[in-house]
Amino acid sequence: MAERKLLLEHSHETSFRTRAGYEQTGGYEGLKKALGMERQAIIDEVKTSGLRGRGGAGFPTWIKWNGLPKEKKTSHFIICNADEGEPGTFKDKELIEKCPFLLVEGMTIAGVATQADAGYIYIRGEYLDGARSLRSAIDEAYKAGYLGKNIMGSGVNFDLYIHMGAGSYECGEETALMSSLMGERGMPRLKFPHAPLPTISGVFEKPTLINNVETYCCAPFILKNGGEWYATLGASTKNSRGTKIFSVSGHVKKPGNYEIEFGTPLQELLEIAGGMVDGDLKFCVPGGSSVPMIKKAEVERAIIGYEEMSEVRSMVGSGGCMFFNDSTCVVTFTWRTAQFYANESCGKCTPCREGTRWMVQILDRILAGGGNPGDAELLQQVASQIDGRSFCPLGDAAAWPVAAALRVFPEEFAYFIENGSSMVTGAKTLAMAP
Amino acid sequence: MSLGILKDVARPILGGMGITAKRLRHKKATISYPEQRREQYPRTRWRHALTRYENGLEKCIGCSLCAGACPAKCINVVAAENTDEDRHSPGERYAVRYEINMIRCIFCGYCQEACPTGAIVLRKEFELANYHREDFIYTKEMLLEAKAST
Amino acid sequence: MAAEMMGVDMVTILVDDIELQVPKGELIVESVKRLGIEIPIFCYHPRMKPVGMCRMCLVETGTKQPDGTIRKMPKPQASCTLPASEGLAIYTQTPQIIQDRKGVLEFLLINHPLDCPICDRGGECPLQNNTLFYGPSTSRHIEFKRHAPKAIPLSEHVTLDLERCIQCGRCVRFTEEISGDGQLAFRFRGASMQPSTFALSAFESKFSGNTIEICPVGALTSSQSRFRARPWDLESSAGVCTLCSCGCNVWFDHRIGKLVRVNGRTNNAVNEEWTCDQGKFGHDYYNHNERQASVFIRTSARLESTSWTVGLGEIVTKLKSTGTSAGFLLGPKISNEAGFLACRAATALGSRQVAGIDSRVELGANFEVPADSLLSLEQAKVIVSVGPSLADTLPIVYLRVRKAASQKGAKVISIHSSPTELDEFAFLSLCHKPGTLSLLIQGLDGSLALEEVALQTGVSAQALKEAKTVLEGQGVSFIATNQVAHTEGSAALSDLRRLAKKLEANWNHFCETASGFASLASCSGLGMELQSPESILKKCLSGDIKFLWLVDFDPFELVKDRELVKQALEEVEFLVVQSAIASEASHYASVVLPQSLPAEGGGSFTNLDGQLQNFDAFLPKIGMARADWQIFAELLSRMDLAAGMFSRQDILQMAAKDVPYFKEALTGKQDHQPQPSGAGV
Repeated sequence: MAERKLLLEHSHETSFRTRAGYEQTGGYEGLKKALGMERQAIIDEVKTSGLRGRGGAGFPTWIKWNGLPKEKKTSHFIICNADEGEPGTFKDKELIEKCPFLLVEGMTIAGVATQADAGYIYIRGEYLDGARSLRSAIDEAYKAGYLGKNIMGSGVNFDLYIHMGAGSYECGEETALMSSLMGERGMPRLKFPHAPLPTISGVFEKPTLINNVETYCCAPFILKNGGEWYATLGASTKNSRGTKIFSVSGHVKKPGNYEIEFGTPLQELLEIAGGMVDGDLKFCVPGGSSVPMIKKAEVERAIIGYEEMSEVRSMVGSGGCMFFNDSTCVVTFTWRTAQFYANESCGKCTPCREGTRWMVQILDRILAGGGNPGDAELLQQVASQIDGRSFCPLGDAAAWPVAAALRVFPEEFAYFIENGSSMVTGAKTLAMAP
Repeated sequence: MSLGILKDVARPILGGMGITAKRLRHKKATISYPEQRREQYPRTRWRHALTRYENGLEKCIGCSLCAGACPAKCINVVAAENTDEDRHSPGERYAVRYEINMIRCIFCGYCQEACPTGAIVLRKEFELANYHREDFIYTKEMLLEAKAST
Repeated sequence: MAAEMMGVDMVTILVDDIELQVPKGELIVESVKRLGIEIPIFCYHPRMKPVGMCRMCLVETGTKQPDGTIRKMPKPQASCTLPASEGLAIYTQTPQIIQDRKGVLEFLLINHPLDCPICDRGGECPLQNNTLFYGPSTSRHIEFKRHAPKAIPLSEHVTLDLERCIQCGRCVRFTEEISGDGQLAFRFRGASMQPSTFALSAFESKFSGNTIEICPVGALTSSQSRFRARPWDLESSAGVCTLCSCGCNVWFDHRIGKLVRVNGRTNNAVNEEWTCDQGKFGHDYYNHNERQASVFIRTSARLESTSWTVGLGEIVTKLKSTGTSAGFLLGPKISNEAGFLACRAATALGSRQVAGIDSRVELGANFEVPADSLLSLEQAKVIVSVGPSLADTLPIVYLRVRKAASQKGAKVISIHSSPTELDEFAFLSLCHKPGTLSLLIQGLDGSLALEEVALQTGVSAQALKEAKTVLEGQGVSFIATNQVAHTEGSAALSDLRRLAKKLEANWNHFCETASGFASLASCSGLGMELQSPESILKKCLSGDIKFLWLVDFDPFELVKDRELVKQALEEVEFLVVQSAIASEASHYASVVLPQSLPAEGGGSFTNLDGQLQNFDAFLPKIGMARADWQIFAELLSRMDLAAGMFSRQDILQMAAKDVPYFKEALTGKQDHQPQPSGAGV
């Protein structure tokens, strides 16, 4: 299998960023179809397609769409989570910059299906180009009557707003995103079973649908070609359907976004990206920095799919696939990852706030040559004290890479602790980045 | 008769004198206090003292843990806050009053054990007799060590 | 248990394999208390919304499957945010949970300084207690702790120590949810997160003291009682705050006969567990260095120390000759017993001249018991607050109004001539031009056209119309105090009362002083009227009053017209100044009587909604000082006006014969006895 371009098919054509160009490639056919359908039929179509959330958790999309009240009593909102902050992931950036109409159309379809009054696109603060591109797409859509009052004469009203984040990874967590959108501090809120689901009481305490950029971008294709057609993509996997964009980076010859069908072997993704740049493959982090790393042997047998990846004790995640060659020091890699999460912890809950800082302190010490026997066990225990005890998944995301590195490459940690230098590079102490 | 006297009177006297004579060779067990004084055991616990750090600051932070630990309830501490102008101890807090009632004190050393900074110590000075009850209230001024003359 | 009676759905949950019936949706952390099981907490507070920040209350959960087995959830859940649902199984003592608690405490202690010996919280600190019961014995953290500024004065009353903070957010949530001033927020994120005021301004809240009490560590401490005593040295005695008419239940913490600090005591019918800053920090006058300690009598130009026998003897002699022209000014903080006995003395002497701050005479209205209690105010649908800042005059009433508005959805209408705290959450705030309240009321009761009223008062006609519609609904309660009469004239207050009656709304004209309710009740029971202080002082000038007794009443502080006070005190023939602290009035006194304060002499106090609360003495009296009621009991005995007053109970029994209120309070209603403190962790 090679690349299977669906979402990114026209991404390199600049005309695709204009309404006319987008319509030429079959754009807005999905919305037209959707407007002629029963609302439930749209949701059923999504159900048939087997589409699952592309943000990382892989939750079946139709359940969320179906969760909003059918009898509309108050305003409904939909939100697009474009606060793409996971290190290694940059697929949403490309989608909103180069295929803004896909997102606009996808959200409009979701808005129609869920009777939403308005949609909010929460964009990561640094994605200025993406926001500009999206802005012009939304303006064009309004002009052409694809947004606003009485969309295409169907009587449906739907508005779309852009909200820029202010630089917080935590705001990519859906409840923190909603808090931030409402003008509160970007901290996660209580979730089911402690509080109602967002689909009952989300942003502004109104029923809210929240999905990732890529998830919404799939909707036009599902509507246009039918859910059954979409379900044929990735049919070889257990429960993953369609295509997935992977942001391939690291020691590969051609880093970039590659769209592949589910069921493609991970090894093939590496080949699509041109193979390793120097040396041999050492390990791979297949789905963004929070996902557990896997060794070369696992990479060779891994099949891309939500269930298939868990067989090699990893995840599809958000698709930030990083390959590292044998010149990489795992301890340093873990330290850098831990530092990111310590920096991005919002501070709400104890395990994440204190635990992430402590992990960095321990790794700092090991890298400075001050490792003590038992530090590896300590790190592992600290990670397990965070995992599953934190308020939101950020704690888990911080704990997994450390725990996985300790599990996959215990000998490198042991060597560093004992000798005060890297087993791979031989570096005595780390030239620490400021 | 005379033999009886000899047996009943002289023999015991001679016997007693004998013991005395024998003891004359031994070293004396008593000393003539107060001219002479004995060396105290290292862990002797008598009069308290409040110690200082090398830089002259008081170790006592006025935490009252000694008073809390005291089984005889004979310690009274009143704390106050240090300022940069009027600094007594390194941290925020110092004891403005520190009093021990030596009549009540049982010299158990619990205060020393409880002290988090090692400020209160029980030293070897044991001559605490006095004429007035009031004089047994040892104030902070009496307990505090003199500053090292450097 | 009240929920069961109200017919709330009950669900069956399993707590450590014990079946338990609890109301649906009750938080698990509360449910387990029914079994006597304790779950350690930091951020959870029963009176605030749960947030689940500290993760201390983790429990293992599971759900009962149809086949009776229990399927455990993979991750532990925070019990402070977990609502009870049918078939929920909770495990609080599993090895996993014990380990998790150790983990959380180890994390919290990573950055917590070893300040315990000098920390004011040390000894009563939830972090210390939880660490001792549930924590690890040692820490594996050998790196540097986080350092932050220590002892930052956040306001006049509150000192913040950032190093000690465990970021539980209780203080931040208090200012958002309870006091409503939103003064505190978190700054920064992750491990550097810290509570702070916005723009680092001063923490200006009228309820800031409560954050000290709810802080689970020593991060927020009282500047007033800083380093004054260790918690284990303090003795806590139940008391009642007498600084205003709310009658907050408090703990007076004292050491060696000296008051050190005041903390809130739980009484759901009065103050829940909160105190205002005035009550919490305003009791320092107990340690005033000019406390009156002996009886003084004026000989020629000087005041000379004398005995009670001589002092009271002089008063008795004088009263026998000028008794019919004797006047009594009742102070704001005197006990029910003293208030009653003073009124009784005035009637027995035949002068019938008694005055107090809460006088209703000028309003042309008789004393009315407020229609609402503090508890029932919470259930009101519409609350109309009239007059200046409620948070200043009656802070606890303000908290109730806020609770009614934020938790029970009551609509608050605030009528005032200058902005108040109520505007923040008021449904309508009618800010009128000063002096136009009467007009506004006429607009509301329909006797004037709204447009005309709008023009004159400066309130928009739209708002008036809306207010009128809301007021015509059910469950309306009016709140007013004498302040309305002071700022807008007594006619406005009478108009307001008439409006409330016309709308068939609950009319609450609350007293402002702790002695107000009982003085008014005693006067009306004895067939007198409680006059205003000004009218008595004027009578001194006119010569109608020749003998004036200031019962812990400082006229220079409490009466605005200073010149009137001065002249009256100079004019009056015989002046008795009975006070706890030397005051300016003592200079004019013929006899000065030292009076003890409530914590030293005891007394019962009636709060604004008529709850009689006992306050037993626990501090030693200063010098010769006597309790206010003791002074009057002795006076009445010496003058043969009454007998058999050996205790406060005797006086109350006597009062019950004359005053219907006391009869009711002693027989009918329950006295609020202090319960040992256990709440407020």
